[in-house]
Amino acid sequence: MSHHHNTNDTTHLYEGDQSKLYSGVMSHHTDIKSPESKKQIGRIWKVFWILLLVTVVEVVLGMFFSHNMPKALVNFFFLALTIFKAGYIVAIFMHLGDEVKSFLITVLIPLTLFVWFVIAFLADGGFWLHMNHSVPTR
Amino acid sequence: MSQTTTVETKAWGGGRSPFNVSYGKMMMWFFLLSDAFTFGAFLISYGTKRFFSPAWPDANHVFHAFPFMGEANLPLVFVSLMTFILIMSSVTMVLAVHAGHYGDRRGVIKWMLWTIVGGICFLSCQAWEWTHLGHLTGGLWGTFTDPNTPAHAYEHFYNTHSAAYQSATHNDLLSATHNFYNFFFTITGFHGFHVLSGVAFLILILVNVVNGTYDQRGHYEMVEKVGLYWHFVDLVWVFVFTCFYLL
Repeated sequence: MSHHHNTNDTTHLYEGDQSKLYSGVMSHHTDIKSPESKKQIGRIWKVFWILLLVTVVEVVLGMFFSHNMPKALVNFFFLALTIFKAGYIVAIFMHLGDEVKSFLITVLIPLTLFVWFVIAFLADGGFWLHMNHSVPTR
Repeated sequence: MSQTTTVETKAWGGGRSPFNVSYGKMMMWFFLLSDAFTFGAFLISYGTKRFFSPAWPDANHVFHAFPFMGEANLPLVFVSLMTFILIMSSVTMVLAVHAGHYGDRRGVIKWMLWTIVGGICFLSCQAWEWTHLGHLTGGLWGTFTDPNTPAHAYEHFYNTHSAAYQSATHNDLLSATHNFYNFFFTITGFHGFHVLSGVAFLILILVNVVNGTYDQRGHYEMVEKVGLYWHFVDLVWVFVFTCFYLL
């Protein structure tokens, strides 16, 4: 890269960089104090309060109610709240909600394999417990 | 029909990214996807073992200590603090990414420093928790293997009033305690290692920010990429928290 020596050309810092083409970051966004920027920051803090509130609800549920309520119902609440929090983190903090739809689908579809993965393995564990307790050992 | 075809040909016809993201950012997403499967496999094997066991340690009985509080019974309080620290560091990270979008170098430096502080706080909390549990169990991995272990060594981890506990045999309880701790240290250890490497990446990127590398490059996409990694670590914690401490 000797031909870049002693020039103000900085492209050699990051050759083959496509980020500028796709992020759209370069074209606008200059004033951090603009209303648009403040709106975005407001959204970030709103998500923070939602995540905090949901976590507090989970802990209170775990501390005081997990022994007085049906176990299946408590677990359903915990799992639903977990998915709810995960959705906010991925959509807002990781900006997946701002990506184009085809990319969003490409990332999310493989994750649906977990549905099968969880059901199959937990059912297997439950079946083994059943076998160990109902089949007489020799 | 023909209109749709034209649009699709344009999006996928070459010369541009059909996903409208750069190569590096897309690969970070795909790496995180594969990492999600690794963590998922860990958590699901933990769940399988748990379903397989007649009884399982109760989180409210295992995790009830707090630094400098001695014998006080404070179930879930310490882990709530750890969760709060990690959520907070996720917020400071996304604020750093936001500042990067606007080319605000001072903002990026400020919020990245807070994120690093949050990461180090989380790791310190985890170090305390591991040390505490290590004292309780006499080690980290591979404890509760001796069949002659007396019942009083593990019974305080269980809800002794439950029907599951009362019908379980000594061997059932011993191997459940053994499995619980093996999975706990493996999974929180793997997560903690992600936090540790995340802190290292954040420091590397911060050095570049301070040196003005991204101003010269013209954009702060590297901050965005390390941000994706950091948020993923927070995301995994949400699931670890549910699986170990709540369910």
